[in-house]
Amino acid sequence: MTDPAPPRPDPAPTVSRARYDRERRARQEAESLLEAKSRELYVVNQRLMRQAEALEQAVRDRTADLEAARAQAEAASAAKSVFLASMSHEIRTPLNGVLGMAAALGDTPLSVAQRDMLAVIIDSGDMLLSVLNDILDLSKIEAGRFELEDVPFDLAEAVRSVERMHALKAEEKGLDFGVQVRGAGWVRGDPNRLRQVLGNLVSNAIKFTERGLVRVLADLSPPDAAGGVLLRLVVADTGQGIGDDRMAQLFTPYAQGGPAVARQYGGTGLGLSIARQFCRMMGGDLTAESRPGFGSTFTATVRLAVAEAPPLAQPGAVERDFAERLRRQPLSILAAEDNGTNQLVLKGLLRRFDLRVDIVPNGRVAVEAWHRDRPDLILMDVQMPLMNGIEATQAIRRAEAEARRPRTPIIALSANAMRHQIEEYLAVGMDGNVTKPIRRAELIEAIVAVLPRPAPAARACDRPDAVCTPRAG
Amino acid sequence: MKGMVFVELLQMAEELLGEDVVDDVLDRCDLSTGGAYNAVGNYPCSELMTLVQAFSSHVGTPVPELQRRFGHWMHARFVKSYPGFFTDKPDALSMFESIEDEVHVEVRKLYPDVELPRFETERIADQALRLTYRSSRPLSDFCHGLVEACLDHYGQPAQVARRDLSGGGESVAEFTVRLGG
Ligand SMILES: Nc1ncnc2c1ncn2[C@@H]1O[C@H](COP(=O)(O)OP(=O)(O)OP(=O)(O)O)[C@@H](O)[C@H]1O
Ligand SMILES: [Mg+2]
Repeated sequence: MTDPAPPRPDPAPTVSRARYDRERRARQEAESLLEAKSRELYVVNQRLMRQAEALEQAVRDRTADLEAARAQAEAASAAKSVFLASMSHEIRTPLNGVLGMAAALGDTPLSVAQRDMLAVIIDSGDMLLSVLNDILDLSKIEAGRFELEDVPFDLAEAVRSVERMHALKAEEKGLDFGVQVRGAGWVRGDPNRLRQVLGNLVSNAIKFTERGLVRVLADLSPPDAAGGVLLRLVVADTGQGIGDDRMAQLFTPYAQGGPAVARQYGGTGLGLSIARQFCRMMGGDLTAESRPGFGSTFTATVRLAVAEAPPLAQPGAVERDFAERLRRQPLSILAAEDNGTNQLVLKGLLRRFDLRVDIVPNGRVAVEAWHRDRPDLILMDVQMPLMNGIEATQAIRRAEAEARRPRTPIIALSANAMRHQIEEYLAVGMDGNVTKPIRRAELIEAIVAVLPRPAPAARACDRPDAVCTPRAG
Repeated sequence: MKGMVFVELLQMAEELLGEDVVDDVLDRCDLSTGGAYNAVGNYPCSELMTLVQAFSSHVGTPVPELQRRFGHWMHARFVKSYPGFFTDKPDALSMFESIEDEVHVEVRKLYPDVELPRFETERIADQALRLTYRSSRPLSDFCHGLVEACLDHYGQPAQVARRDLSGGGESVAEFTVRLGG
């Protein structure tokens, strides 16, 4: 089968050979130009890709560097907190010695001039201790290791104690200092931290006010259904006030109102930052308002819980009862403490009582002395060479169980102990804890609390915040 | 010199004189390329001058006149290939003003190694402009043709005065363009 032939195209217009050759050469040249351009483009593209890759690598490296720097900074900050904590601890130990010995010195006959000097030593030591405690608090807060107490206390009394502490200073400056307490009663919470917050606000108000008033209002809300109460502490003054530019820095640690403040008034600039963190940990906040030149008002809020008022205890009664008890029943105490100064402090604190104190330098000797002398009570330092207080306690408790001996009360003497550590002491068989620097009243309270109840009077264990472990014998 | 100029010159010649004449002229000239040009190549400027000279003798039109016509031709080619440059300019004066900073910038993107003449402009009145052309190549007449064609394109009557300021191996032509009669 054949198709009809297609129509013939017009005869092609002829082109001269020379023209044809020219066109072809021109085309070939254009093609090789195109090739060269393509190659060039490829090379440039490769270079761009390498450059992009290098840039990305640079970004990755830079990011890794930053990451490393951040980790390093965090590690450094953690190390700083640990260092601050241990350094404060290291300073506190000798300071305890100074303060303890100074207190003991107060029990010896002194001339009036010597008493004045002693008062200065104790004041200065207390001040140093409070700065140290501030630094320690802050490093604990920053490390997230701060633990609040939860004990019943008299709110009005806590506020009044702050008032008493600052009344003299206010009077010296000729300030009209007034404290009003509204709706207060017994509450549960952390009384020491609360006093610390209020104390810093009041001390600031007095410090930065030259004339006029400092007013404190403590206002406790009625309890809600769950027994929760909101405490509002308002501290207002007619002092120099705080400029807008400083307001932003007010709660930043170590930030004072310029270097002149430290020169003129002292202080470290930690007070407000710690106070605010405490308030926040206690479910509230701390805020400030001020009109420069007219005064400032600080408002702290914290959440507390209502508590039952305990039966009345008279001040000094514990020590008197203790002395009374010793007259009826002799007491021998074994104390394990490696630090010579602390040994002297302990002796000094107990000197006025008619009892026997044997002091040994470590846990191992303590266990031996316990076997040999059968003391009525042991005061046990926690950190000691050769055998520490925890190991010694465990050894004694084991020996008691094996020999079916009656249990000897053991009180931990801890430096800077936290709640979970105290729980650990109790778990290994200790009966109580006294935190250094040791105050006589606290020591006696703890001793009374762990001793078997004397037949006639039973006072000590009525106190709700004393550690009382019921035991036989 | 960019091959496009050669290709366009030959195109114009073919249109005016026919392919056979152009082939003849090319055969008679002494050209490094043998007369084979493409738009993306680069060729010596002297060959362009040789070609212009050859066509001029062939048709008996003086070289300057031929260059000028070629300027008109080239302008038409620009309008056709790159209309975008023209649509956003209201008149010829703004077109002249945009050559250096707009048109040449685009040309350099395509041909980084291109050698371009310089066009300086100066407004001397609202409707008047001084355009100075500078080039290492003797193409002032070609430029003149371009200027005229551009004015024609915008359809505005205008007066063009030209002053030759060439010297030191450089062609310099100063055009004073006044719009309106
Ligand atoms: N009531 C106030 N009136 C004016 N300025 C105040 C008042 N309370 C605080 N400031 C300013 O805020 C700064 C920070 O207060 P903060 O209690 O944190 O530190 P400090 O009192 O200087 O030192 P520290 O409390 O650590 O002994 C103070 O230095 C002071 O400039
Ligand atoms: Mg302060």
